Amino acid sequence: MKALSSIYTWADERLGLDDLLHFAQKKRVPEHAHSAWYYWGGISLFFFLVQAITGVLLLIYYRPGPDAFESTRQITYEIHFGWLIRSAHSWAANLMIAAIFVHMFSVFFMKAYRKPREFGWWSGMVLLLVTMVFGFSGYLLPMNELAFFATKVGLDIPNSLPVIGHKIATLVRGGPEVNEFTVQRFFALHVVVLPALFIPLLGFHLWLVQKHGNAVPPAEEAKPPAQRKSIPFFPNFMMKDLAMWLIALNVLALLASMFPWDLGAPADSLKPAPTGIHPEWYFMSSFQVLKLFGQWFPGAAGEALGMILFTLGLVMWFLIPLYDPSGKSGQRARWATYFGLFALSILLVTTIWAYAALN
Amino acid sequence: MNYPFWNVPHIGSGWVIGLIAIFHVMISHFAVGGGLYLPLAERKALREGRQEWLDIIRGHSKFFLVLTGVFGAVSGVGIWFAIGLTNPEATSTLIHNFVFGWAIEWVFFMVELSTAAVYYYTWNRVSAELHLKIGWLYAVASLFTLVIINGILTFMLTPGDAWLAVAGTGHEASRFWQAFFNPTYWPSLFLRMAVCTSLAGIWALVTCSRIDGTQKPKLKTGLVRWSAKWLVPSFVAMPLLLGWYLWQVPESQRALLSFGMTTIGTGAFTQVTRTVLIIVMTSATIVGVVYFFAWRSPTEFSFSHALAVLLLGLVATASGEYSREMLRKPFVIGRHMFSNGVRERDMARFNAEGYLTHSPWITTNAPALARGEIMFRGECMACHTTDGYRPMKRLLAGRDREAIGNLLGMLHDYKPDSPYHAFMPPLVGTKEEIAALGDYLATLSQPAVAPDTAPAKPALARR
Repeated sequence: MKALSSIYTWADERLGLDDLLHFAQKKRVPEHAHSAWYYWGGISLFFFLVQAITGVLLLIYYRPGPDAFESTRQITYEIHFGWLIRSAHSWAANLMIAAIFVHMFSVFFMKAYRKPREFGWWSGMVLLLVTMVFGFSGYLLPMNELAFFATKVGLDIPNSLPVIGHKIATLVRGGPEVNEFTVQRFFALHVVVLPALFIPLLGFHLWLVQKHGNAVPPAEEAKPPAQRKSIPFFPNFMMKDLAMWLIALNVLALLASMFPWDLGAPADSLKPAPTGIHPEWYFMSSFQVLKLFGQWFPGAAGEALGMILFTLGLVMWFLIPLYDPSGKSGQRARWATYFGLFALSILLVTTIWAYAALN
Repeated sequence: MNYPFWNVPHIGSGWVIGLIAIFHVMISHFAVGGGLYLPLAERKALREGRQEWLDIIRGHSKFFLVLTGVFGAVSGVGIWFAIGLTNPEATSTLIHNFVFGWAIEWVFFMVELSTAAVYYYTWNRVSAELHLKIGWLYAVASLFTLVIINGILTFMLTPGDAWLAVAGTGHEASRFWQAFFNPTYWPSLFLRMAVCTSLAGIWALVTCSRIDGTQKPKLKTGLVRWSAKWLVPSFVAMPLLLGWYLWQVPESQRALLSFGMTTIGTGAFTQVTRTVLIIVMTSATIVGVVYFFAWRSPTEFSFSHALAVLLLGLVATASGEYSREMLRKPFVIGRHMFSNGVRERDMARFNAEGYLTHSPWITTNAPALARGEIMFRGECMACHTTDGYRPMKRLLAGRDREAIGNLLGMLHDYKPDSPYHAFMPPLVGTKEEIAALGDYLATLSQPAVAPDTAPAKPALARR
């Protein structure tokens, strides 16, 4: 113990650890009926860390390009616990996106995007979009049948955009068709470009949370300060946060062990697409909207209209802090809540509809 | 083949046992561990004059009585029903060999149930000394139920050479004690006792978590910490006991543990490895949660924390029981009876005379497909379903009749280098019977079956 104490003193003199500790003890986190929603940002962060660690481990054996499928097959069927690392990576990717969605909607309904937290909302939105691109680019990397055709269908979406659509799709694919060059490009995007964007942005997002602290919902804000409760960040909130991480780790371990991610058949561009091909669940809503618009307005115009509408919705979602900037809950705040409920309903209904349409 | 088959669609009959048994193990192990917890806690409270402890222990004993005396007892009988229906051949073997063991088990069980009730209903009605003695009587009786049943359970994995030497001669009961104190008896007993003390601590934490930590911080701190200590011995000894247990398990069965290290291949027996990972993960989490939340912050230890620990304990126990069951494959009684009820010594006879000819439950002139389906029910259905758990439709998907025939040929030959040898019983029967099974399985692997070739209903004999 004495040795540990002297190491701590040595580090403290150089890094100012005591100051950090005092700061963490002084910092307080509000506690109220909706406190449970505070943990979802941390859970998302936890899954990102899992992604980074398992991603690096997969990098050791994965070979992009023509060997993509073969190397994934080796990871899944030959290397000790390779299947576990790959399953944990795939499951954590999905859980991370799910956790970010929960985090985003809880922030929205608690009005945590209001002044002075606008940049927190915007940076969070960009983080979600980058995460979805992470998901899209990672999905192709095993280069199995499902990934190949799902990516092909996915890249048909920008292709439907007038004027620039075709150019964007060709650029992303690395040619007119999805092939090993596409894998190479997606790999570079997945392991270099996206992390280079994500990590500084995540740092900015966390710094903002640190700077402004946790927002309280309007109902809590209306209470006199004496009636508001809070707990110290360190150790109380941190312990609870870590408990959530532990729960998340157990859920991930259960899923990865009991339902390991299957590899499927290798991609073959000469084969017909399997029936019911569809993107990952987090793209199902946009997939269904585009499909519906394609049916209602036949031709390229339908899909383009769907794309434009979806983009418009996203822009409105993004700009919500500018529409509802006030700290007081007035008419605009109510409209913002209705808009949130409407967006959530559309997302859920179109996703369920998309899955129901597959059967 | 002496009994009819119990067809449980989708989940399979094995999971009926599994679900009841997992529920039962959670309670029965608590019954044993809690049997030690109650008198020890009461003794400590009496010696140290902690009246408030006694009030909590009394409440805990009521909960204990209801849980173990009602749910534990009912689920225990449920296991009997389920094993008798699922694997009557194996159940019959157990009864014939251990009839004396079962009788002792029931005596201790009756004493256990009676003393649990007397213990609760005599709080403050008899002297503290006598009440404590009743508690100790309960503890001994419940411990002996484990001591007995453990011999029968471990026998199924490692019956031992002495018993195997007389198996099938009609003199099996003469080796009762050798079969009872078989190679895995002692490590399994200590392992289960470790689980019992852990579960006693975990269930006690559920009770203690409901004490108001703000109103009664001293009481909550004392009881939560004392209950948390119950997890220490088991978690320290568990790795050693597990190592001892596995050391006694035959090498061929131990190999099942490492199957899933490199592969998740369909049909390969990889679940054991994956389930063991779950045990390690959940056990480590229990240690973490109990240390940080119960030991370090006892007054803030909430009911939801306790339920989380209980849930983790359930997952760990369920995974442990599942792994133990799976380690026996391809046998239900090690080196004696395969998991589909076929005895090893009957293989040659069934191959020569036919599997179905020895069943009193079918007519001999049944159509081929119906005979194939009965073959499936008898030889495959102990572990497989058509469309649910380990479904034949998925496992055979894409295989044509010839490929199915080749697979069945491999299972019938049962060569030591066969990839299925380690975890699947041999397929026994004449060529015609195996061909009939192949025809039936082909109807499962190819969903678009013409109406005239659809499987006929099994031709069960009217008796």
